[in-house]
Amino acid sequence: MKKILLTILLTVVLCSAWYLSASAEDSQGKKLYNGWCAQCHGYDGDAKSYTDKFSVPKPRDFTMGTYKFRSTPSGDPPTDADITKIVRNGNPGTSMPPWTRFTDDEVKAIVAHVKTFAPDIFKDAGKPITIGTPPKASAALIAKGKELFNKAKCVECHGKAGRGNGEKGWQENFKNDWGDPITPANYTHPWELRNGSTVEDIYRTISVGLGGTPMTSYMDSLKDEDRWALAVFIKSLQEQRKLGVAIKIKKTAAIPAKVDDPAWDGTEYMDLPMGGQLMFEPRDFTPLITNVRVRGLYSDKEFAIMVEWSDKRPNTGADGKPADGVWIQFPEKVTEEAEKPYFFMGDKKHPVHLWNWKASDTGKVTEQIAKGYDNVADLPKQDVTVIAGYNDGLYRVVYKRALKTSTKDDFEVLPGKFVPFSIAAFDGQNGESGIKGAVSAWYYLMLEPATPLRVYVFPPLVALCVFVGGLSLSRSLRSKK
Amino acid sequence: MMKIYPIIAAIGLLITVVSVLKKSPFFNFLGLLTLIYGLLKSVGLITAPFPAQVMTMYMAMSVFSLFIYFSIQESTFEALLEPVRAVLADDNKRILRVLIVFIALPLFAGYLTFDKVKPNYEPPVSARIVHPEPVSSIEFRGKPITIIGLENPLRKDAANMAGNLEAGKKIYYQNCFYCHGDDLDGRGHLALGFNPVPPPFRGTDTIAQLPESFVFWRIAKGWRGLPAGSTPWNSAMPSFEDLLTEDEIWKVTLFIYEATGNKPRS
Repeated sequence: MKKILLTILLTVVLCSAWYLSASAEDSQGKKLYNGWCAQCHGYDGDAKSYTDKFSVPKPRDFTMGTYKFRSTPSGDPPTDADITKIVRNGNPGTSMPPWTRFTDDEVKAIVAHVKTFAPDIFKDAGKPITIGTPPKASAALIAKGKELFNKAKCVECHGKAGRGNGEKGWQENFKNDWGDPITPANYTHPWELRNGSTVEDIYRTISVGLGGTPMTSYMDSLKDEDRWALAVFIKSLQEQRKLGVAIKIKKTAAIPAKVDDPAWDGTEYMDLPMGGQLMFEPRDFTPLITNVRVRGLYSDKEFAIMVEWSDKRPNTGADGKPADGVWIQFPEKVTEEAEKPYFFMGDKKHPVHLWNWKASDTGKVTEQIAKGYDNVADLPKQDVTVIAGYNDGLYRVVYKRALKTSTKDDFEVLPGKFVPFSIAAFDGQNGESGIKGAVSAWYYLMLEPATPLRVYVFPPLVALCVFVGGLSLSRSLRSKK
Repeated sequence: MMKIYPIIAAIGLLITVVSVLKKSPFFNFLGLLTLIYGLLKSVGLITAPFPAQVMTMYMAMSVFSLFIYFSIQESTFEALLEPVRAVLADDNKRILRVLIVFIALPLFAGYLTFDKVKPNYEPPVSARIVHPEPVSSIEFRGKPITIIGLENPLRKDAANMAGNLEAGKKIYYQNCFYCHGDDLDGRGHLALGFNPVPPPFRGTDTIAQLPESFVFWRIAKGWRGLPAGSTPWNSAMPSFEDLLTEDEIWKVTLFIYEATGNKPRS
């Protein structure tokens, strides 16, 4: 009897210990998930969440068990390492950040909890594909990859220059499994490649595809070496951002008359990361334009600023959506004082000039004066001209004006003086117009003056003096000996 | 890059020790100067580095003091000058003379001059007070609110704490997270587009140093309510009194402190 009682007691103790430890583990993952993941992915993993209207792309719904980013063949569940990788590294260009604050055990618990939303899918573990060593990039390999890019029809969705502007990507049925309209990736922007931007990342994406999207697996249709060649070519399309606070504009004999003039490509540029207009209604929480590139040239009389950005789908206002547009903004009074107008459309005391361009009227720019977002007026005299173009997913707008205009109160641009400017860009496809759009902070531009003569004269002169001084000192010391 | 300076200091120390043993005031002088330079520059590893002007001043002072020190005794001073004289005048030091006096020194002087006369265009820097002096009272949607000494009324409501925190969480992720970050670390997905970048709420240098009333004031008034001196003109922080109620601001404040493990300063 004693033995039986002891056995029962022991079993109960062991069972409850096991139960407690198991549920404790569960509760840690659930607790962390509810604390830090549920705000976007939903308490039930179904992406019905606080941020679903404020994020593009939308947060992932885990209940279907479809995972976009995997290292496993199409149809297989992702590995724990795949989900861990996303938690740790985040998804560039989305609101999923890299979660670095958690310990490995905590991440493990979160991953385990995420899997419980679609338990059937994870019954059998997925087996990751082998990713070998990437081949060395060479001109021949890139050329081969480019050929495959057309042959494998990547170009139909991703566009010739890889800006995600291919025709097929804009058909009505271009949606993911969750029913959201999606767009093909823009390879030139590595900072917004969700699945990573290394050659290995690209190779993996080509090989296994992106679950739940029209991007299928090319494992069977392309040989291993072809997938590597393709990855190397796609990697070569990536542009690096050059961030800074000021752009120096060089002098030229004549400003190019076309937006695609090769002279533009050689000029120095600066990239402006874009935020959303969040200060005034209607606000833009989901701007699609993430970067605007600025460059310029000036001559004796005029200066020109080129604004360049990616837009997968041009909108001229004819299709019921607003027209794309961009404006560049300058303080009404350009001084070197610290006090600048409010960075978005100025304020009553500190107005700004807007050079407003819209794709519905490509050859025209409207000069406006803004004393706040709700107080904008066209200027009576227009001194700025514009040339604009859209080519293969890229907008280019070149503004040109005399250094000094005849208009009273117009700001003057002098070589060597820093002029504050900021930019707002509008993507009609994203429903952006008016004050709803992507905005930049204040930056500076400066017409770089010719190198002063003193730079060529003084250093050799001083060097010569030191040389002569040394020589005479040496002579006099030696003669004394 | 910064790690090179302790190495420079160590080399300076080595030269000093060897030169003392070998009784060479000239190398002692050089070694001490190198040591001082290395040490002063190494300060940048622990705290803010010295500005270039201060560095020049300290180095000039060091050269001056060392010169006085070595010139007090006639014999030491002679010994100090001896290598210089040798390079300038000795027949068996010709190669060294050509290399140092006729090539290296003129080139170095030319380079220093170039560095001084070349145009250096720097955009204007605007000073900015990050934590402005709080105001004593504000008008919130037309209603006066005293800020000094104001406390979060929801802290006393222990019964509804969980519900208020959850409501605050929802408000945060629908109004704040794209700038201040999913993890409240100031690295939201739109943060890079703004200057100044949004402050983090984690760590001990922002909300942990502030009373909750300050946070309430900043959320309510945003960039428009900043006093002169804090250059509000670059901030993307909206005036949330247009978008949120008083109660909602208290809820989100409650959440921000709770989520970052911070306690408001009283």
